[in-house]
Formats: sequence, structure tokens, C-alpha cells
Amino acid sequence: MKDPRLIEISVGIFVALGLASLLMLAMKVANLADFSAPPGYEVRAYFDNIGGLQVRSPVKMGGVVVGRISDIGFDSKRFQACVTVRLEQRYDHIPTDTAANIYTSGLLGEQYIGLEPGGEESYLKNGSELTITQSAVVLEKMIQEFLYNKTAKPEPQSP
Amino acid sequence: MALLATIGRRSLGLFERLGRGHLFLLSVLIRIPGLLLRPRLLLQQMWSVGVESLLIIAVSGSFVGMVLGLQGYNTLVTFGAQASLGVVVAKSLLRELGPVISALLFAGRAGSALTAEIGFMKATEQLSAMEMMAVDPMARVVVPRFVAGVLSMPLLAAIFTAIGIMGGYFCGTGLLGVDEGAFWSQMQAKVMLVQDVFNGVLVKSLVFGAVVSWIAVFEGYDAVPTSEGVSAATTRTVVHSSLAILALDFVLTGLMFN
Amino acid sequence: MNSPSSGPDSIVRIRNLHFRRGSRAIFDGVDLDILRGKVTAILGPSGSGKTTLLRLIGAQLTPQQGSVEVNGANVQTLPRDDLYRLRKSMGMLFQNGALLTDLTVFENVAFPLREHTRLPPSILRSLVLMKLEMVGLRGARDLYPRELSGGMARRVALARAIALDPTMVLYDEPFAGQDPISMGILVRLIRELNDALGLSSIIVSHDVAETSSIADYLFIMAGAKIVGAGTPAELRESESPMVRQFMGGLPDGPVPFHFPARPYLGDLLETPL
Repeated sequence: MKDPRLIEISVGIFVALGLASLLMLAMKVANLADFSAPPGYEVRAYFDNIGGLQVRSPVKMGGVVVGRISDIGFDSKRFQACVTVRLEQRYDHIPTDTAANIYTSGLLGEQYIGLEPGGEESYLKNGSELTITQSAVVLEKMIQEFLYNKTAKPEPQSP
Repeated sequence: MALLATIGRRSLGLFERLGRGHLFLLSVLIRIPGLLLRPRLLLQQMWSVGVESLLIIAVSGSFVGMVLGLQGYNTLVTFGAQASLGVVVAKSLLRELGPVISALLFAGRAGSALTAEIGFMKATEQLSAMEMMAVDPMARVVVPRFVAGVLSMPLLAAIFTAIGIMGGYFCGTGLLGVDEGAFWSQMQAKVMLVQDVFNGVLVKSLVFGAVVSWIAVFEGYDAVPTSEGVSAATTRTVVHSSLAILALDFVLTGLMFN
Repeated sequence: MNSPSSGPDSIVRIRNLHFRRGSRAIFDGVDLDILRGKVTAILGPSGSGKTTLLRLIGAQLTPQQGSVEVNGANVQTLPRDDLYRLRKSMGMLFQNGALLTDLTVFENVAFPLREHTRLPPSILRSLVLMKLEMVGLRGARDLYPRELSGGMARRVALARAIALDPTMVLYDEPFAGQDPISMGILVRLIRELNDALGLSSIIVSHDVAETSSIADYLFIMAGAKIVGAGTPAELRESESPMVRQFMGGLPDGPVPFHFPARPYLGDLLETPL
């Protein structure tokens, strides 16, 4: 049998090392802040096309993350994608006529929902719907339109 | 006919073994509270199961992390997205490579040793001798090893993952010139504590640790008490635990990340 | 059959014991009484289930039929706690010692004491040294089992078997594979321990000469039955052909030299096709 003292010490080091690694993974890698989901409320928004949007994608207002997407589904009556957004409780003064647009950060980066506040006096609450939406920009569509415009150039464009 | 009979016999044998394995697990589980009174037994096994696996885990972790850094960089740089290297390294280590590779190493290093030890004790009648000395070999020999395996595995997986991320960090920022700030901030933005760290490293490795330890102690206790029997049981431990790890990983990934 | 008087002084009483492994009968209606304070030997050819008998007495195995009583208690129906208490009063010497390989000689002998008692270290130490002194291996206390010869390992195991001061010691083939000197030592030890500590000893063996030199009473087993019983002197004078063959070590007799087979000529003439 090995010296019991040695065993105690090395098992102690082992356990401490393991816990320290876990702590490092939690603090440094996962940035603990995400752990406790802040209290919030959920609103819905319908899009024709959500592009690469995913559950947990950020929802930003003026570049600040105000919430995250909690669910994505397809409404078979409206033939639209139904996105449920969870907004943080502290941002509870968002007008009901706020517009939701799907943006891409950078050319090929991740997609997120950008909120542009309107001017209504009433505010969004749990279960509200964002009615003014703009779908994701689909690259193929854009190129198609671009080419179509090119070929149709001689004709004068309507304003 | 003979073929059918063979298939039938084999599957009956398989089910019989499965049944015995589950009963065995049950009798291990009901003895765990008794271990609390004998922490020294657990300490002894934490040494041979955990501490002695530490070196191989640390070395493999750093290499896996560095390879991820290299490969991830090469792929990402074609899209100009090398700033996401931290995310790639951290997510793949936390969710898959950390728990799975450390569990595979654990099965080869500690699982086989557990089986060989218990099988050898059985072959040399040490377990019978304990029984005759009114000492329960399940409580004295099997349970401490099982619990040590279950507890060591998450710690080893966490160490593996942390060292792997550090390896990827040094490889990416030190050798390949990825921006250090982007490496960490992108990682911190995308890695979720519950989803990635908790589900990935902790839950997966706890499950793997329990399954590998269970297979290892059962194979040892159930081994034919001869040298051939013990060596066959050791081989079975490594093969079965590796298969179990990979199959369970698929199931767990399906349950957690969809 | 052939059991001695089943008085109250028998420590083990076996009645109508049936035990089979697969389709092979190991015991087919065995009655046996083992007297308190004596050295009783059970002799039989290899594979006659002698070790199995010890395991049945220790309740590591369960017979299909019949009863095994130790100290008047049926070991098969004993609750676990009582069985463990009973086992503490039984020491068993395994064929190869069965020492715990990761513990020193000292720790091996201390093992049952540490598991079952809460003795202060100084008392534990003197107890262990006393047991080791009895088997003459006090000087080997810091060695590991792998550093011991077979005979020494058995003596350590013997010291361990008597560590809890049992009332009965079971010996499984104590003489098998021993050189003459360690054989002599073991023979002397078994007898001396039995008399000095007031034990009852059960020896299972196939070494006729050594065993009969120390045993007070012998049983001879063959074909899953007891075929002879008596003191060594009585058995040497026995008329039974079975007993004569075994005591004299004759190659052929009631225990046949040939494994059962069909006639030799028929086997030879058969053309393999």
C-alpha cells in the first residue's frame, strides 16, 4: 500500500483540478451570465422567410441585446414562420408598432432580429404580436433581382 | 436449423447476461450508502481510477485541442471567419470530443484495470476468502471502485476539455495569429452554460462514467476465474464500453441538442 | 451411512446432502458429522467435490436438497447477518492462501480485525504479531504476498484464518503442491493450533499419508458418497475395496483406471467415414 498521506494529497489535487476546470469552463468559456435567464415576456412575430435564424439567436435594439428567440415554428394557416421572442423584463417600454427585421451581422455572419421602435403610446406585453416585419434577405433572391434589373435597364424604372 | 438454434442460444445467453448485469447493478447501488462510512476505501480507488488516469487525459486533451485549433483554422480561414475559432474549439470539445474521448481513454486505462483487478481477485479466491471472513466483497471491493469511476469521470472530462480549449487557444492565437480577444469573446457569446457545459461535459460524462464503471466491475466480478477468463473479460470491458459510449453519445446528443 | 455418533458434541452436522453441478452429481445423499475439538479429514480423489463441501459448510453454495448445520443452526436458512456472525467463528484456509495481493503480510492478518473490530492500533498490532508468531512469520510482516513462497503464503493465510479466534478452521487442500519441509511445518501447525486453541479442524485433502498422520477421524469420499469412515488405524485395516484402493494408492480398483467407454475392440474396428 502506498503512503496514505500521498494518496490523500494527490486525490485532493485531482478533485481540485477537476473542479477548477469545471469552474473555468463555466466562467471563462460559457461566461456564466447566460446561465440565469433573466425574467422576461414573450411576443410573437410572423415572417415570410426567416433565413438562418435559430432558437437562441439574439434580438437587438440599437445594437443592444434585449432578448433571445425562444421558439421557431411554422403557422400552417398563414403559411408563415412564427417566431417567438423572449424579451427581458427590464425592456418593458417597447411600443406596439415596433418593426422586427431580420439582419445579418457581416456578410456571412449569424442572423439576428433587429427591433426598430415605433411611436405608439402602448407597450408590448406578454403575448403581443409584432405586426410590422421584414423577412431575411436571401442571397439568391437578391442576385436574381439584380440580374433582372440589369436586363430590364433600358426601360425607365418606376419610382 | 443449426444456425437458428445457435442464434437462439446466443440471444438467450445475451439476455441472461443482461439480466445478471442489471441485478448486479442493483446490488451495487443498494450498497452505496454503506460506503459513506468508509471514505478511505473510496479515496484509495479515486487514486487508482482517477489520479492515475490524469496524465493520459491531460496529454490527449492538449493534443486534441491543438489539432482542433489547426483544422478549425484551416476551414474557417477560407470564409474569413477565423475569429470564430474559439467557438468551434469550445463547442466541439464541450459537447462531443471532451466527454467522448476522455470516456474512451478512461475505458481503456481505468476500466480495463478495474476488470483485471476484480477478475484476478476472483481467480485467486480473494473474493471467496473475504466472504468467508464475513466481509462482503461487493461492499468492500466492487462498490468503492464503481463509485470512484462514476465520480472521476466528470472531473477527468472537465480537465480534458479545459486543457483542450487551452491547447486550441495556444495553437490558434500563438501559432496562427487569431485575435485573442475575438477568440474568447466569440466563445463566450456562443457557449451556453446549461446547454454546452452542463449537458455536454457533466451529464454526458456522468452517464459514460457510470456505464463504463458498471461494465468494468461487472465483467470483473462475472469473469471466468482463470487467467484466460480474466483476459477475455478485460477485452470485453474495453470493447463493450467503447461501443456503449459511442451509442449512448448518439442518444444523449439526440435528446439534448434537438 | 457410516456417521459417528451424532451426539451434541458435533459441530457440523450434514444430513442427506444432495448437490449437483449441471447434470453431474457432486453429492448424492451424504451424511456427515464433525466432532468438536477434533481434527477431521475428508479424503477423496481429485474432483470428488471436497472443496465444494467446504463451501457448502460456509454457505457460499446452496445444496439442492438436504441440510448443513453448524453449531445447531442450518446455514442455508440463516439470515445474512447471522450467517456473517457465524462465518466470523469459522476460519478458512484456501488452497493457495488467497491473500489480498495489494496488502502486506501484516495488513492481511490485520484485515479481518480491522473489518470487524474497532481495536486501538497498539492492541491490533500485538494481536497480529501474536498470530504471525504462531505461524513463525513475524519477521515477514512487511513483505507482500508476491514475495512469499507457496508454503509461507499458506502460513500467513493460516494466521489470518485464526485472527478472529474462530472455533473452527476449514483447510482446503493444505498440503497440495508443497515441498516436504513446508508440508511438515503445515502438518505440525494444524495439529498444534487445533490443540492449543481448542479448535475443531476440517481438512479436505488427497494426501493420504500426511492427513492420516494428524487426523483424529477420516472420511473417504468417492462417487458422490462417503465410502469409508473411521480413525486412521481403523481405515488402514478396512476390508472395503474402495477404502483399500484409496489408502494404498492403487491405480485400478472400484475407482476405475479407465474413463467410461464402449468396448475397445469396437472402437478400433469402426472405420471413420
